[in-house]
Amino acid sequence: MALLEVIGLRTEIRLKRSVVHALDGIDLSVDAGETLGIVGESGCGKTMTAMSIMQLLPNGGNVVGGEIRLDGRDLLSLSAQEMDSVRGNDIGMIFQDPTTSLNPTMTIGRQISESVRIHRGASKKEAHERAVEALSLVGMPSPAQRALVYPHELSGGMRQRAMIAMALANEPKLLIADEPTTALDVTIQKQILELIDNLKQQLGMAVILVTHDLGVIAGRADKIAVMYAGKVVETTSTRALFANPRHPYTEALFQSLPERSAESGDRLYSIPGLPPDLTKPPTGCRFAARCRYAVDDCRTNEPPLAGTDEQHRFACFLPVGAPVYRTEAEPVAAPTADAVVTERIRESRDRTQAETLLRIEGLVKDYPVTAGLVLRRKVGAVSAVADVSLSVHQGETVGLVGESGCGKTTVGKLIVGLEKPTGGSLLFQGRDLAQAPRTERRRLRRDVQLMFQDSYAAMNPRMLVRSVMREPLDIHRVDSPAERDRRIREIFDLVGLPLSALERYPHEFSGGQRQRVGLARALALRPKLIVADEPVSALDVSIQSQVLNLMRDLQSELGLSYLFISHDLSVIRYLSDRIGVMYLGKLVEIGPAESVYSNPVHHYTRGLLDTIPVADPAVEAAKSSQGIAGELPSAIDPPSGCRFRTRCPAAQEICAQVEPKLTAYGPDNHLAACHLPLRPAAAASEEVQPALV
Amino acid sequence: MTAYLFRRLLQSVVTVLMVTVVSFGLMKLMPGGPVRAILGSHATPANIAHLTQQMGLDRPLYVQYWTWLDGLLHGNLGFDYVVQRPISDVLFSALGASAYIVGVSLLLALLIAVPVGMVQATRRNSAVDHAFTVFSFVAYGIPTFFVGFLIQQWFEDDLQWVSVQNQVSTFTEALTHPEAICLPVLTLTITTVAGYSRYMRSGVLDQITQEYVRTAKAKGASARRTLYGHVLRNALIPMVTLIGLSLPALVGGSLIVEFVFNIQGIGLVTTRAAQQNDYGITLAATLLTAVVTVVGSLVADVSYAVLDPRVRLT
Repeated sequence: MALLEVIGLRTEIRLKRSVVHALDGIDLSVDAGETLGIVGESGCGKTMTAMSIMQLLPNGGNVVGGEIRLDGRDLLSLSAQEMDSVRGNDIGMIFQDPTTSLNPTMTIGRQISESVRIHRGASKKEAHERAVEALSLVGMPSPAQRALVYPHELSGGMRQRAMIAMALANEPKLLIADEPTTALDVTIQKQILELIDNLKQQLGMAVILVTHDLGVIAGRADKIAVMYAGKVVETTSTRALFANPRHPYTEALFQSLPERSAESGDRLYSIPGLPPDLTKPPTGCRFAARCRYAVDDCRTNEPPLAGTDEQHRFACFLPVGAPVYRTEAEPVAAPTADAVVTERIRESRDRTQAETLLRIEGLVKDYPVTAGLVLRRKVGAVSAVADVSLSVHQGETVGLVGESGCGKTTVGKLIVGLEKPTGGSLLFQGRDLAQAPRTERRRLRRDVQLMFQDSYAAMNPRMLVRSVMREPLDIHRVDSPAERDRRIREIFDLVGLPLSALERYPHEFSGGQRQRVGLARALALRPKLIVADEPVSALDVSIQSQVLNLMRDLQSELGLSYLFISHDLSVIRYLSDRIGVMYLGKLVEIGPAESVYSNPVHHYTRGLLDTIPVADPAVEAAKSSQGIAGELPSAIDPPSGCRFRTRCPAAQEICAQVEPKLTAYGPDNHLAACHLPLRPAAAASEEVQPALV
Repeated sequence: MTAYLFRRLLQSVVTVLMVTVVSFGLMKLMPGGPVRAILGSHATPANIAHLTQQMGLDRPLYVQYWTWLDGLLHGNLGFDYVVQRPISDVLFSALGASAYIVGVSLLLALLIAVPVGMVQATRRNSAVDHAFTVFSFVAYGIPTFFVGFLIQQWFEDDLQWVSVQNQVSTFTEALTHPEAICLPVLTLTITTVAGYSRYMRSGVLDQITQEYVRTAKAKGASARRTLYGHVLRNALIPMVTLIGLSLPALVGGSLIVEFVFNIQGIGLVTTRAAQQNDYGITLAATLLTAVVTVVGSLVADVSYAVLDPRVRLT
């Protein structure tokens, strides 16, 4: 018998005027020592499933049917007190954001020991000792000291470790991890996922891993349940799911991943429409309205979760891979992967030979740190950007990638003029932005626009979208007022938004639409360069693919250039002609996208590539590298020489003494700054063409 | 922290000094002048000249200011020629009664408002919550003097529970006649509870939807433990600011309550002084309020840092 069995679980959330049917007949089971991955897009009910098991539903939420059996005991029949003794004791849970999920005014030691005191009746002293033990179990350095600090004194990764220690203090049989690494950097993500894996084996627990990230789930789960609109649509072993998805929704999810099309550069598949409103769930298959294969039967009858065998079940009348589709899905003589790669490299080389639009040289940005009893004096500086040079050509996309705190966003801000550089120069079409007279600077600013990560936060919530769009045009007094309205309509057409959207407020849009509005606003002044700062990282994959496709279409239509800033290497690789890798304020490697991706020179780039979870269990299993150890050092007093040396597996004495210079590796201006590169430098004759850096 | 305190104290001193300059200057700009105020409009020029000289008002302004400031630094607020008593005497006897009434009602208000706010927040939208909400809005909406009159009417005239004939004007009197101050305290408490309980309610509501509360429940903490162990402390933090900002009322008194119940408190004394062009007392009271306001906000900031480890005073 399975450790946890969920049978026909139905959960509803009562709102003022309606009832959300959040979960409708969920079946799941997890064995001891097994990891079940629950995957799906936002609103599909994956978190609601976890919360139903814990019986920690939000206000108005209620389990209205089904069974939840832990070790044969029906959790739904327990009283509130009995359930208190299950939570934190038999089931431990970790949450997405360790910053908000820990009590800010209580030391982490007390927060962990509280759990021990509740369930084991331990004395304060015993419980504290157990807390220190749990902290050392999760790899917290000097646990006895760390037990006495408050959450804000720890880094995000360490906070999540503390959170895990809290969940595991009583050695539960089941651990539920709800997006445990979504708020963390990739290098830390890998460390945390590895930790959960190790602890699972050590303690023989069952784990439920809830995530939207197909890459995370591919490497960690033994079996997977794919959820859509409050139902499990497909469930099987991880290998079988990725090798042979049967539900059209699963297939569509995979096809919208940018890494699947990175080599071919094909348009990404995007699922049309939006998930159904669960206050009035549709009859028939809930995915039918967005499914490219749906027939009438799908809209009237609901397909049961069944399948070829017990191991692979899916809820679809016309599963993918069935003979019906073979005929239409067969591609016609696809070009070989190699040919495509060569072609892409050639194309991007063409672009790098185009006119240089933006050129930054030796860009430096320091933020002062002050201290002092009465008079504040400068005692140091946060070195956010340290001597970064790069250029963006007409019609080119340059991707900037790195962990949070690496300075990529600051570079973006400096380029659009939201911050003033401490040193270095910014040349736009050959004109120095800092030296140019006011009026000219103003005109140049029009040509560089910014696209934000969170378009909602970046728009005044009390302004109609029409006014949001009008504002840049009004500020720059572009054309006549009538002409401005005409231009707005034209742009809305271009980004695929209905004109009626102009009369709505920002909160009335879905995430993907908002990002379209964000892009439309950036386009209003007909810029030549758009600095896009994590424009898709808040979006679900299927929506992300829509935005990425749109950005590519607009680029070829309008000849735009992008500086695309992201922590997500697969998105960067898909969209960029060239990739720059930043670490702690330094540009450590830059070169053609394919070259950087498949043939990196810098150890940091290699580490990043190894760290990023790939949505392919075979690739994930084959990974042997440990990724990048440790955490980002402080930028107030960055390491001498090569800034990466403290975390570099190959670091030697020279790395601490001499700062490595960007050197050419290969013919395509693939540059990297490393004393001990992963492959030898290009022959001395191949001079770096400074214009192409 | 020490460095912070040092800097804040230094800032406070500068602030208070500026208050002395401004208020001293403003007093000098007032029409009529103190001599006329004391001697009346029929005074002879000789008398005026005599008193002007006696009070030192014929000296240059900066000398007058310096003399006054020098006195202040030595704890000497000066002599009031209108009531012919040292200013400190007048002020502190009035201060005692006021501070006692305001202090007791502030304390009572907190003791009532904190639990009420918690009950309201944890039973949101219940009958209890609605009842207290109605009470708060009504008590907050009715002017204080009207609440005072109502209470006087009920307790003194209708029920005859308390009879207040005697005036309270000093701290000792207030202490020895608790029945004399219970009605003003009640009045002040009602209006203060109305406001504070709303703050507490929304403070707790803010906290119970936080994710760390969900974490606490996920480790098996009971509803009670979650409320007292996690929510309460975090919800009290914003209340501290509120209390710090209420401190000046301790020395400002509550003019309206003092007026209604005829208490010779600081509010009444200061108002009367201002009406009678009694420069000495007005000036001293202004300064006192400034000092306590500055100290109050410093106390609020420091206790904020003590309660919330995230706040680092640097």
